[in-house]
Amino acid sequence: MARLELSSVGKAFGAVSCAADLSLAVEPGEIVAVFGPSGSGKTVLLRMIAGMFEPDEGDILVGGHSIVGAPPERLGIGMAFQNFALFPHMTARANIASGLRARGAGADVSAKVQSISHLLKIEHVLDHSPRELSNGQKQRTALARALIGNPEVLLLDDPLRNVDAKLRYEMRLELPTLLRRGSASVLYVTQDYREAMAIADRIAVLIEGRLVQVARPEEIYARPATVAVARLFGDPSINLAEVVPVAERGVLFADISGTRVRLDTADHQPMDLGACWVGVRPDDLVISQVASGDAIPARVVAVTPMHEKAVLLLRFTDGTEWLAALPPSATVADDDVFVRFAPEASLLFDRATGVRIGLPHRRQAA
Amino acid sequence: MSMAQLLQTSATARIKPRPRGRWLPYLLSLPALLVCIAILVPFVTAAVYSLQRYRLNLPYLRGFIGVDNYIDFLSDPAFWNTLKISLVYTAVTVVAELLFGLGIALLLRRPTRFHNAVSIMLLLPLMTAPAIAALMWKLMTNPSFGILSYAVSLLGIHDFKWASDPSTALFTVVLVDVWVYTPFMMILLLAGLRSLPRQPFEAAALDGVPASFVFFRITLPMLTPYIITASLFRLLDSIQQFDIIYAMTQGGPGDRLMVFQVQAYLEFFQYTNVGRSAALLMILWLITNILSNIFIKNWLRLRERAHGHA
Amino acid sequence: MEHSSLAGRVFRGVALALVLVFFMFPIVWIFLMSFQSNEQILRIPPRILFEPTLFNYQALISGQLRTTAGNLEISFMRNLMNSFVLSSAAVLLALLLGVPAAYAFARFKFRLGETIAFTLLSFRFAPPLLVLLPLSLYYQQLGLNDTYFGIVWVYQLIALPLILWIVRGYFEDISPDIEHAYRLAGHSWREAFTRIAVPLAGPGIAAAGLLSFIFCWNNFVFALILASADKQPVTVGALAFVTASGIQYGQIAAAIVLSVTPTLLLALYAQRYLVEGLSLGAVKG
Repeated sequence: MARLELSSVGKAFGAVSCAADLSLAVEPGEIVAVFGPSGSGKTVLLRMIAGMFEPDEGDILVGGHSIVGAPPERLGIGMAFQNFALFPHMTARANIASGLRARGAGADVSAKVQSISHLLKIEHVLDHSPRELSNGQKQRTALARALIGNPEVLLLDDPLRNVDAKLRYEMRLELPTLLRRGSASVLYVTQDYREAMAIADRIAVLIEGRLVQVARPEEIYARPATVAVARLFGDPSINLAEVVPVAERGVLFADISGTRVRLDTADHQPMDLGACWVGVRPDDLVISQVASGDAIPARVVAVTPMHEKAVLLLRFTDGTEWLAALPPSATVADDDVFVRFAPEASLLFDRATGVRIGLPHRRQAA
Repeated sequence: MSMAQLLQTSATARIKPRPRGRWLPYLLSLPALLVCIAILVPFVTAAVYSLQRYRLNLPYLRGFIGVDNYIDFLSDPAFWNTLKISLVYTAVTVVAELLFGLGIALLLRRPTRFHNAVSIMLLLPLMTAPAIAALMWKLMTNPSFGILSYAVSLLGIHDFKWASDPSTALFTVVLVDVWVYTPFMMILLLAGLRSLPRQPFEAAALDGVPASFVFFRITLPMLTPYIITASLFRLLDSIQQFDIIYAMTQGGPGDRLMVFQVQAYLEFFQYTNVGRSAALLMILWLITNILSNIFIKNWLRLRERAHGHA
Repeated sequence: MEHSSLAGRVFRGVALALVLVFFMFPIVWIFLMSFQSNEQILRIPPRILFEPTLFNYQALISGQLRTTAGNLEISFMRNLMNSFVLSSAAVLLALLLGVPAAYAFARFKFRLGETIAFTLLSFRFAPPLLVLLPLSLYYQQLGLNDTYFGIVWVYQLIALPLILWIVRGYFEDISPDIEHAYRLAGHSWREAFTRIAVPLAGPGIAAAGLLSFIFCWNNFVFALILASADKQPVTVGALAFVTASGIQYGQIAAAIVLSVTPTLLLALYAQRYLVEGLSLGAVKG
């Protein structure tokens, strides 16, 4: 099995840059999710690897050999497309077997088709044409087709995008095992950060054609490289406030809505930070009815049940609105509350660059 | 701060050209390119001929005379007659076919089984070779036994000579053109009508808007792209009409139906004046080229609509 | 639109009936005429009821027409054969040349491709004589005058733009991902073209082929200029036949029926695609 490497890959369509200086390595047996908002260049990246576009700069290597410009049939890449791209004039069985036949797998074609369809639970629809399949079945057929040849590199372009919520949930559980089966290097494109976190060993965050952060899921959640990354991970998304932190005797304080809030623990070196964003995840907010010096007074404007949480919309006295996520059982007796958070739960970002300012947090990821 | 992960391998820009695949589109379109050349070479030749004194029967007189062939036209009543007849023929056929075709399309608008059957039947004249259609009408308008001659005689009009009489020749040939090509207008406009969104019509029906208002303020404006494309299509074919006129009257009686291509054909084969024939065709080409540029723009817009992309 | 008043419905019914009579009558009348003897045809007033005869068809098919003036040779069956040979060969050649080119234009956006596609399209609307007259002089030098190949080659002027633009539309409607998926599964571009693109564009290719056949068959001016009697298709042959046979109206009618029947049958068969074909792919029926 072979390692997939992107080395300083760049691609522009006319004046629009879709990929700039992308470098990334995927080890055999590893699943790397490429995650980013739509239009960030995820699909272009995948298509460059699959040979549909050629990078303008840089190189793409599989097992140490450049594959740029190689005809797609020689790449040894399996790919599942977002729109499934099944061959409409062939049965599901012929779709799945298409790769094996071409590569001269010979007699055991039907056995292999049988085993992969068993794994994906589509044995009963093998003789149907794609038109007769449900979206879920189409998606499984497309996956089977990508997986069956045991490719060295497996590319998945948002494969759960077009399937319903229940199936997406099931597949999120099944996929990691399936994808690791052949110890291929897997690149998995998704727009859903939960999907990325559930499936991938590492997540590569792609924003406007650049890789902003490549790290393990919990690392990205706990220590996002930039404020943009922090905003992309988490639902409801992270609360932000504009602050100018001040260091006093090695401790950082910031003024949020008139309340002096402690941002970090005592052993921190004093420094001049300038204008910053402070970010606190809604789950890290503590709501109480009791006033204290370091608690921000707020009004509860609205309460929305969301997934397995209750989300409170809070308005501070200066008008800043933050969200707090509480267990659904939690009740708030009064609309006037006080908000606190642990200093180590706060993230600081430079307001000009958006880059996170490294503070020695002690707490590990959620 | 962990930004993009750096790799051991040096990231030098790749310069090598893509080894295969680049030539593929050119290889695939090579035969079509050959056909293109096979068209363009005679086209350029025709342009050159149009600047020459070139008579097949007097080869030793051949030579460049600049734009003399064109200048000669200015003072040649035969040319002005050709231009006039061509334009009148085009205007009359296109307007008649448009009005007639639109009317039939409106009659057949609801896609019932009967309407569909009628629209398929109306395709038959269109699929008849125009030259053959002319022969059919020739048989029907034959002065001694033609059914149409008999029919007009029942109306008290005797000696109606159809295409052989200068005063009725244009009418007769236009009639054949209308018979052949009205279905073209009809079928395109019908496809257009049936592709229009329904909401405006449903809303108008609910509001009790009068039918004439619906037609002039909703149907017609929405149908305009189809009307323009279909009319330009017919305009381009009609100004070059040859088959029907040649098969029916060979441009006659006299020079009553001497349209561009018939005139050019006779110039070439009867008078063997290649230079003059080429100049005549170049003028026609100029007219059609302007029209076809307008046409292609409209046509591409419709095509984009039909395919969801250009 | 939805006149439901009685007057409206009567008006629409009468209008449709008149339309049908106008467009169908000539075809029906010539068809009836082809089964009549000359005496029956010349009878005034004409009769709807008559004793049909196959004499006209027999004369055309046997190629011998006995008249009071003597024996007349008719080569009409040869014209019919020529039409079949020329149109089929032209369509086959156009498909062979046009389908790969249409694929190239649909899949690869390249300047030369667009130039070719639009040149062919704009010459579809140029006066045919402009190209034909000089071409006939070239043909004389090249020895292509009055050859099947020479005529088939100019028929590309009709068939190729049609095939190129219709089939291109069909190829454009196939998601490139499907072909790419097939190539990633280990197939060459040629296999992707023949086993994915061509089968999926199949209906469009068939329709474009049928329509090109009809338009080649119906063409008149190309063969008029480039073909002598023994290479002429029915369109030119029928006209020559009228001149030669003079007053044999029954045979003329039968010749007309034989000339239009193949295209009318094909048109009925392919009617679903006619709108698209007639508009060169701009309007879908």
